[in-house]
Parts: sequence; C-alpha cells; structure tokens
Amino acid sequence: MLPLLYVVFSAMTADPAVWRRLWTTRVPELFLNTLSLSLGVAVINLTLGISLAWILTRYTFAGSRIWDWLLILPLSIPSYVLAYTYTYLLKRGGTLEQIWQTIAGPEAVFFSPFSFSGAVLVLALNTFPFVYLLARSALKNFNVSFEEVARTTGAGRVTTFFRVSLPLIRPSLIAGLFLAILYVASDFGAVSLLRFQTFTYAVYQQMTGRFDNTAAACLSLVLVACAFVFLFGERWFRQRSRFYQTTGRYRKPLPQPCRPLTALLFTGYLVLVFGAAFGLPVLLLIQWTIKATSAGEISHEFIGYVWNSVSLSGITATTALICGIPLAYLACRRRTWASTFCVQGAYTGYVLPGPVAALAVLVLVSQIVPQLYGTILVLLMAYLVHFLPAALQGMESTLQQLTPNLEEAARSLGARSFRTFFHVTLPLVRGGFLSAWILVFVQCMKELPASLLLRPVGFDTLAVRIWLEASEELYQLAAPPALLIVVITIPVVLLLMQKDQT
Amino acid sequence: MTPSDDKPIVLDLKDVACSYETGSLALEGISFSARKGDIVSLLGPSGCGKTTTLRAIAGFEPVSSGEISLNGSIVSATDRHVPTEQRRVGMVFQDYALFPHLTVRDNVGFGLASAMADNRHSRIDEMLSLTGLSELARRYPHALSGGQQQRAALARALAPQPVLLLLDEPFSNLDPDTTERMRMELLHLLEQTQTTAVLVTHDHEEAFAMADYVAVLNNGKLEQFATPETMYHLPVSPFVAEFVGQADFIPGTIRDSVVVTQLGTFPAPPDYRGGPEVVVMIRPDDVHIRENRNGDGTVESRQFRGSETIYGIRLGSGDFVHSSEASTRFFPLDSKVELEVMATHTVVFDRKAWKT
Repeated sequence: MLPLLYVVFSAMTADPAVWRRLWTTRVPELFLNTLSLSLGVAVINLTLGISLAWILTRYTFAGSRIWDWLLILPLSIPSYVLAYTYTYLLKRGGTLEQIWQTIAGPEAVFFSPFSFSGAVLVLALNTFPFVYLLARSALKNFNVSFEEVARTTGAGRVTTFFRVSLPLIRPSLIAGLFLAILYVASDFGAVSLLRFQTFTYAVYQQMTGRFDNTAAACLSLVLVACAFVFLFGERWFRQRSRFYQTTGRYRKPLPQPCRPLTALLFTGYLVLVFGAAFGLPVLLLIQWTIKATSAGEISHEFIGYVWNSVSLSGITATTALICGIPLAYLACRRRTWASTFCVQGAYTGYVLPGPVAALAVLVLVSQIVPQLYGTILVLLMAYLVHFLPAALQGMESTLQQLTPNLEEAARSLGARSFRTFFHVTLPLVRGGFLSAWILVFVQCMKELPASLLLRPVGFDTLAVRIWLEASEELYQLAAPPALLIVVITIPVVLLLMQKDQT
Repeated sequence: MTPSDDKPIVLDLKDVACSYETGSLALEGISFSARKGDIVSLLGPSGCGKTTTLRAIAGFEPVSSGEISLNGSIVSATDRHVPTEQRRVGMVFQDYALFPHLTVRDNVGFGLASAMADNRHSRIDEMLSLTGLSELARRYPHALSGGQQQRAALARALAPQPVLLLLDEPFSNLDPDTTERMRMELLHLLEQTQTTAVLVTHDHEEAFAMADYVAVLNNGKLEQFATPETMYHLPVSPFVAEFVGQADFIPGTIRDSVVVTQLGTFPAPPDYRGGPEVVVMIRPDDVHIRENRNGDGTVESRQFRGSETIYGIRLGSGDFVHSSEASTRFFPLDSKVELEVMATHTVVFDRKAWKT
C-alpha cells in the first residue's frame, strides 16, 4: 500500500513539464497500443475459449477427456518464454514462413513477431485458458431447459446458441476476459521481447534507458488509474448481472457422441490450438536444451542461477505466508474497519504490474533507506508487494471454509488463542496454506520485471537469464532455464485446476 | 364425458419405445392418442417414464421403435426424426426455464418470428392480457412470483400457437394455494385457446382434476389409458387401483357369475377371464360401517380429514379395509363394527397373478 501511495505522490509532485512532455509524446501512443492489444487478445480469447469450451462440454469423442487437462497447460508457460519461442518460429525465413511460402507462393510474407499481430498472437495463446476455463464451467453447469424451451418455440440450434446460451454465460465470459486483459495490460515479458510499446514496457525503458524515475512514476500512475477504472467497471458489471438465477433442480447438458468426421475435425482444431500454445514451444525448448547440454553449455553458472531463483523464491514464499497469516486471519475472523483497510491495502499490490511494483519499491527505498539500494532485500520487498495478495487470497479462502465453531469449541475447552491457532486452526488449514506457499514460490520463479530492475549486480535469476539470452536471440542458451520453469509450473497449474473442479 | 370422436387426432403414439444409452428400455409399447382440445395426463411414480414420454413427443429423445405423429404426419420413428424446432410444440418446464436475461415481454415474444413485427406485437399483447401479465411486461423473471412465472412460461409456450402444449409437472414448484388457482386458470386458458395438451404429473388428484384422459405409466409401460372416472372405478391392474386412490384387496371366489367374499357377494364382471380364485378391490367410499357389538370388524385407526374421516378396520379373517365416513359420524377406536359394501362396479384380479 505504502509503495503505491509513494508512486502516486512522486507522480503528482512531478514537474508539470514532465507531464506535458509525456502527455503529448508517449501517453496517447501507449494508451492506444495497450488498448488495441487488449482488444485483439480479447477477440481471439473469446473465439478460442467459447469454441473449445463448447466442443468439450457438449460432445464426447475419443480422447475428449484428456483435452480438459491439456488445454490448461498453456498457463504454465511464462509469457516471455512463449514470446521468445515465437520470435524464432515467426522470424524471417523461419520454419513457419517456409511452410507458408510452400502454400501461398514464394513471395508470401508472414507477419513479423515484432509487430502488433505478433504480440496479440503470443498473448492470446498465453491467456485463452482463462476464458476457456470459465466458459467451460459455465457451460457445464448450464441449465439445458433454457435451450430446450428455445427449441420448442421454433428456434434452431444456431439461433438458440446466440440468443440463449451465449447471453446466459456472459458473466463468466466477462470474468474470464477480465483476468486475461489484466494479465495482458500488466504483462512485461512478452511485450518487451517483442518490442511492442505498452505502458509496462515504457515504464521499464524510462527506468533503465533514461534513469528517469519521475517519468516512470507518471506513466505508472496512468496505468494504475486505468487498471482501477477497469476493476470498478468489472465490479459494476457483475452487480448489474445479478439477475442470473439458477433454480434448484435443473438438467445438466449431456455430452453427445459425434460422428467420426466431426470428431476428427474437432481433434484437429484442438491439436492446432494446443500445439501453438504449448506443444510446439515446449518441443522447441526440449530440442534446444538437448543441443545445449550436448554442447556443454550447462555450466556451474547455470546451477548458480537455479540456486538464486530457488532460494529467493523460497524465502519470499515463506515470508509472504508469515506476513499473510495475521492478515488473512483478521480478514476472516475479526472484521473491523481497520482490519478491512489493512487487508484491502495489501490487495492493492494485485493491480500493480511488475515494473510498477519494482519502481514503487525502488523509489521508496532510495528515499528512506538508500543504503539498502542494490541489495537483495529490495528485490525481496518487491516480490512481497507483488505476490502477497496471491498468498492472502489462497489463505483467506482456506480460512473461510473453516467454521469458527471449531475455534470456539477449543476456546470453550480452555485453550488459549495461541494454542488454539497452533493446535486446531493450523493443522486444518495446512493444505490450503501449503498450496498458497507453492503458488507464491512458482510466481516468484517466473517473475521477470522486478528481478530485472532490482537484482543486485551479478545476481541473475532463471527468468532474468532467459530474458537476457532471448533478447540476443541466443535460443539455445535460454532454453534450459525456460524448460525448467515450465516443468515446475505444470504441477502447480494442474493442482489449481483440480481444486477448481472439486 | 362428452365423446369427441368427431374431432381430428392431434397426437398419436404407436407402440413407442425409447432406450437409454446403455441399451435398456426406458419406454416400451406406449400407444395412445389425443384429439383436438383434449388434455391428456401422464401419471405415474418417479422414474416410470412419464417425462421420457413427454420429451420423446417434444423431440428431445429419439424413439428406438414405434412412431409418434403430430397432426397426421410422423415426427418420430426409427428412420425419421423431425427436430424439435420444427414440431410446433409448446413446452412448459418444471422450473419454467424463463430466460433470465430477457423481460417478460421478450420471453413471451421469443418464439414469434420477428419478420412480422406488427403481428408480433399484437400477439404478445394478446398473450400477456390472456395471462394477466400486461402490467408486468417490463419485469425480469426474477422479479415475478412463482405463479406469475408460470403464467409467463405458459404465455411464451402458447404465443406461437403450438399444435400441442407439453407441461412437465408445472405445479410442483408452487405452494398448495397457488396450485389450486393456477390449475383452474390453466384449464380456462387451454379451453379458450382450444389447445391440446399433455401434462405430466405424479399426483393423481391433479391428473383427475385437469385431464380428459389419464395415462398411467409404470416401469416404462403404459398400464391404462382411460378417462379419470373409468380409471378410478375400473382400474385394469392392482398397480393402477392403488396409484389413483386408496384401495384395499380382499380374497374372493367366483361361483356361478358371482364373487363370494367375507363382506358379501358381488356380481362378477362379465369380461373377467382369469381363474376362480380372485382378489376384490374395495375403495373406502364403497364401505360403510355401523356400530354392532357382534360385528366382524374392529376399528383400528382413525384419520380425520375435514369433510370425511377414514377408518381402518381389521376384519375377523385378519384382512384390513378402509372406510370413508362423513366426519360428523364418530366411532371410537377398538369398537366392534359391521360393514356394508355397496360398489357400483366389481373389480377383481386373478389371485394367481397377485403378489402380496
């Protein structure tokens, strides 16, 4: 909370000339880029998400159950890793262009990865599972009576879909889009590698290229303001769509078996999407990693980066949990004005994109305790500001599932609150807290912008290495750490999915 | 019951069978038909296949054999399946399934082609006023009471002037007072619009109150298709006898075209073809009791029901029958009574086929 206020403060007190300069030169372009990027991604996400969810909830065919799991795997690839595999795939004279030229003639050109289309493609492939997942659960729990009644009044399948099914799952679609767009707007890794100018990238450039923290703060403020408008817009929309009712008893849709040709078509489509978003990039990473290993490029330095990442992430996750426990406890059990304020304050870290969080911590530290500047503590603070909300959310929902009666029972048996917590509450919420820890750990392993901006000299994490090697198009060198990150993220994504299903 | 043989047949089911995905039969050999304006009620315990029958008529379930015709043309057969949207059937679902994202007005107009804009508006207005919803046209379904929701669902189903209206337990979500009123409203509306209807219910009183014909289903088979009166007085099976009202069975023997029982002799039904050892169905309203110190029966239970009181009487043989008496008459428990049975029809079932 404090870092955010500080950014706001330094942006507000900035020289009006800085503002004027930014407002006339950078802001309109950045705003337009961020907006069009979000819209482009939203359109692709909707198309992919709805069609995939529809196919997998309404039809059964050979292997249709496996896709439920496969389609969430794209979430385990960090955006910068996907971006860097696509800079290879889409580069001039690259594999995809060669294939395209054999189809469309030798003169045909594929779009460059370093363009609007490239950025949209990469981020859409990275975020479509958000929309897919929410659309899927909405369609799975859909009351088919609505569709059937539409059919009895003479509406065909297509009309029914557009006039009944789609409007009814709209709230879920909006929620999925909201997540995806928030992700896109705060993404730094992909846009920086694809050199597409959005707010996050610009903040980074102001800080590293021009060492102009004030301008960076101004841009951050604009971005955060947009995020807040967006956040409240979503809240407002959700309240308005309260009328969506579900009556107690209803028929769930039964997946229909489909003809072999249709099944083949569906499978082809699924393979295409999955291949583009996960299969192909991971295959490339594996191939490069094998090459790199056989070329002896994995040295003790690599082990060092792994150790840097693992230790830093471990410390952050543990600290986040320790800081988070009292906050989550307050939020669930003792709701007062002050506690709500504290907890909501901690949650603001959520809307802070990586570079902004980094900037906030940096400015704060250099003003108050400049001797800390350039130490690992600064990085740790940035991680905490950024990932405490994720930990809090996990812990809060776990605590909420636990009835206060249990604690009250313990208290009535004479246990003090300290003992109650350690002997009753903690054992019961251990599972939930553990998954919160794992979540923060993995997020930290993937974290790029703050690590890039705040790391002490010579202290590179895996994510930083990937980004540095990838910026220089050293594909093989970037592959081993990228593969490692994907591999440790997959179980976490599957874990979260499993929790979502029960 | 007025004979309606001169009216055209709207719905015709011939030997219809439906199967589950597992291959076992959900319905088997269902045949009945409905003429224009008839209300047919599908009655049976849960899982008997009544909803499956309704969904087969609507076209949601394919038939595995037999055929279903609407207005003389086959809509379901093994080699033919007209999609639901082309059958012109209206349907009212158990949960009404009113589209939550549309107003009452838009719900009612959903099935009307937008091409005929003027016609469409006047038709919506007509339906709204018929169902008394004109004032609520701009509301969303969640702002309606249960009864209003049902009316809206009804208006929506009737707006496109369906050939046949299908109702799936339409009263099960209403409280008893509203149910009574809505039944009368529905009857009135169907009569006004000359609509043929099929109504699914598990409540025999509802079936009797609403329907011209009742079809009792059990285990996927049609037990009996008849008018409510016939169904009640001349059930074809013990299952039907018990399902459509309280029934007791006492043993009897057929001798020289009379049935001899411990409660007296009755004329044997002329069309009975089974063995001489039978059970005779006794309805509580056919049994009357008188206090008699030397009577054969003992009053074992008493249930006050307002207009009547149902007494349970143990006979000397150990059999048990019920008697319905005016609630002004009073017999204490354990008192001895004599019984008199006055039945207009004798219903007997072969005792060999009778399982107790």
